[in-house]
Amino acid sequence: MTEEQTNLTIDNPKMSARDVKVFYGEKQAIKGVSIDVGMDHVTAFIGPSGCGKSTFLRTLNRMNDTVASARVEGEITLDGENIYAPSMDVVQLRARVGMVFQKPNPFPKSIYENIAYGPRIHGLAAGKADMDVIVEKSLRRAGLWDEVKDRLHDSGTALSGGQQQRLCIGRAIAVEPEVILMDEPCSALDPIATAKIEELIHELRGRYAIVIVTHNMQQAARVSQRTAFFHLGDLVEYGVTSDIFTNPRQERTKDYITGRYG
Amino acid sequence: MSTRNPTDWKSEAMRKRIAGRYAAERRFKFAGLFAVVLSASFLAFLLVTMMGNGLRGFTRTEIALKVDFPASPLLLDPKAITDEALANANLPMVTGTVAKTALGDKADALLSPTAWISIRDAIKADPTILSRTATISVPASTGLDLAAKSKGSPEMEAEVAQLKQQGVLSTGFNFSFLTASDGTDPTQVGIWGAFKGSLLTMLVTLILSFPVGVATALYLEEYARKNWWTDIIEVSINNLAAVPSIIFGLLGLSIFLNLAHLPRSAALVGGMTLALMTMPVIVIAGRNAIKSVPPSIRDAALGIGASPVQVVFQHVLPLALPGILTGTIIGMARALGETAPLLMIGMRAFIATPPGGVTDPATVLPVQIFLWSDEVSKGFVEKTSAAIIVLLAFLLAMNGLAIYLRNKFETRW
Repeated sequence: MTEEQTNLTIDNPKMSARDVKVFYGEKQAIKGVSIDVGMDHVTAFIGPSGCGKSTFLRTLNRMNDTVASARVEGEITLDGENIYAPSMDVVQLRARVGMVFQKPNPFPKSIYENIAYGPRIHGLAAGKADMDVIVEKSLRRAGLWDEVKDRLHDSGTALSGGQQQRLCIGRAIAVEPEVILMDEPCSALDPIATAKIEELIHELRGRYAIVIVTHNMQQAARVSQRTAFFHLGDLVEYGVTSDIFTNPRQERTKDYITGRYG
Repeated sequence: MSTRNPTDWKSEAMRKRIAGRYAAERRFKFAGLFAVVLSASFLAFLLVTMMGNGLRGFTRTEIALKVDFPASPLLLDPKAITDEALANANLPMVTGTVAKTALGDKADALLSPTAWISIRDAIKADPTILSRTATISVPASTGLDLAAKSKGSPEMEAEVAQLKQQGVLSTGFNFSFLTASDGTDPTQVGIWGAFKGSLLTMLVTLILSFPVGVATALYLEEYARKNWWTDIIEVSINNLAAVPSIIFGLLGLSIFLNLAHLPRSAALVGGMTLALMTMPVIVIAGRNAIKSVPPSIRDAALGIGASPVQVVFQHVLPLALPGILTGTIIGMARALGETAPLLMIGMRAFIATPPGGVTDPATVLPVQIFLWSDEVSKGFVEKTSAAIIVLLAFLLAMNGLAIYLRNKFETRW
C-alpha cells in the first residue's frame, strides 16, 4: 500500500478490494487496486478514458467473467466474503450486486416484464399479487411509476432514453440488491434526463451502496460523497469528494481535475 | 509551398464532372431496371407456360355412358354387393362390352382403361341401379382427353366433335388427381402419394435438422471457446453447406442403407439424408441470428443474476428465433425441391399407394415430376406440369408459414 492511498479504508465497508489486478490476455488493465466501498454514501470512479475504471467496476459483480481472456487477481469481498471464492455463486452475487449499464438496455418486453424478470428468476415473489407489489415499489423507487403506471404492458423499449435508464435502475432494484454499480449511466442521456437520474441516485443513497463510474467530473462532484481517481490502471487517489475536488493531494489528480488532460 | 488558386465551382471541368456523375447514376439506374424487368419476364414466362399446360392437368374429360344393367352380362346380386363380389364380377370386361354397345367398335380407344372403376363405384354407391338403365360418367382415354382439351390427333378430334354432338362429353375438375397416386395410365395418376411422401420426408428432415442445427449454432456462439478446434468446425460447416446434394445422397446410401440397413425408398431415409444437407444451412443462419442479438441484452440479463442457460433460452433464443426460422425455411425449401440425393437412396421407385408411415416406400414431388417427365405417353406432359404447380404451391405455403412465424416472433425495438 503506497502512501498516496492512505485514505482508502473506511469503517464498515460493504465491499472491499485488496490488491486487485485485472489482465486481458497479456495486457494488464488494473495494476493492484485496493479500495473500500461503504453503504451510506455514493462512490464515484473518475478518470480519463481507458483508465480502467469501468473494468474495475465490472470486477465487483464478476461481469468480467464473460470476457474469455480476462483474468482477475487479488481479493474482493462482499460483507467479508470473497466473491471470487469457489463457494460464491455468481448468479446470486449479481443479484446482490446489481448493475446499470452505459446504454439503457431494457429487455424488448413490457415495462412490467422488465421489472418482474429478476424477481421471477430468483423466486422472490409469492404469486401474482406479490409481483404487482414488487413492480410498483421498484418503479416508484426508480421514479418512474407516475409516468408509466397506465401503460405497464407497453414495450419497455418504447420509452424515452431517460425513462429507459430509470427502468433499468428499477429492474436492478427489483431484486433487492445491496450494492448497485452504475457504469456511466448518464452518458447517453440529455441534461434533463441526467438530472433526473442524479436526483434518483440521491434518493437511493443509504438504501444501497452505490458505485458510479462517470467521466463527467461535475457529476461526480454533484452525486458522490467519496471519489476515486483512476489513471492508467492505477488508483491514484481516493477520498472524500470535496477534498478530491478542492484539495487534491496528487499532482496527477490535480492535472485531471483542472482539465490538463483527459 | 506553391499557392493554389481558389476552387472555381463554375468552371467547365467542374460542370463536366457533375454531368458525368449524373450520367453514371442514370446508367446504373437503367441497368438495375433492366435486370429487374428481365428476371420478371423470365418468371412470367415460366408461370404462363406452366399454368397453360398444368391447369389442364387438373381437369379430365368424361363420357356419359349409358349402361343397361339388366341387359349386360353382369352377374351381380343387388342385395349382396361386397368388395369381393365386385372384384369377381369381371367389371373391366363387362365395361368393354357395354361401351361397345353405346359407342361402337372404337370404344376401347375412347375410354380410359380405368373406366370400369367409375362403374364399380357407381354400383357400390347405389346397388339399385343394377335393375335399370343408368348414365354413368366414365373417364375418357388419354387421346380423347387431349383432343377435347387442346389438340389431339385428327381421328380423335373427329370423335370429340361427334361425341359433343351427342352431348355426352364433359370436362370437369379431376379430383382423383389430388387423391390418387402414381399409375401406369395418365388418366388415373394422382399426386397424393408423392405429396404425402414429401410431407413425411420434410417432417423427418425438420425434426432432425432443426434441433441439431439450433443446438450447434447456440453452442458455437454462446459456449465454445474460440480456438483452433472451433475454427475447424466452422470451416467444415461452411463447406458442408456448399457440398453438391448428390454427394449427400451417396452418403445416405452408404451409411443409412448399406451400413445401418434402414428400409430402402423410405421417407425416413430420405428425410435423414436431406437433414444432413439442411443442417449446415440452419447452423449458419442460426449463428448469424444469434450474433445479431445485441450484447447489451446479455449484459442486462447477466447483470440481474440470470444464469447462462436462462440468458440463452429466455433472451438470446427468442430474439434470434425469427432469423433462425428464416434460415430453416430456406433450408427446408431447398430440401423440398431436392431430387438427386433421393434418387440415390431409391426413392425413384414406382409406388402406386401412398406411404402409410415414414418406413413405407415413398416418393416425393420433385422425383415424381422427374419420373413423369420421362414417360412416353403424351398425357403425362400436362400431369408433369400439374405436379410442378402442386410443388410450387407447397413451397409457397411453406414460405407463407415462415413469413407468418417470423412476424409473430419478431421483436419490435
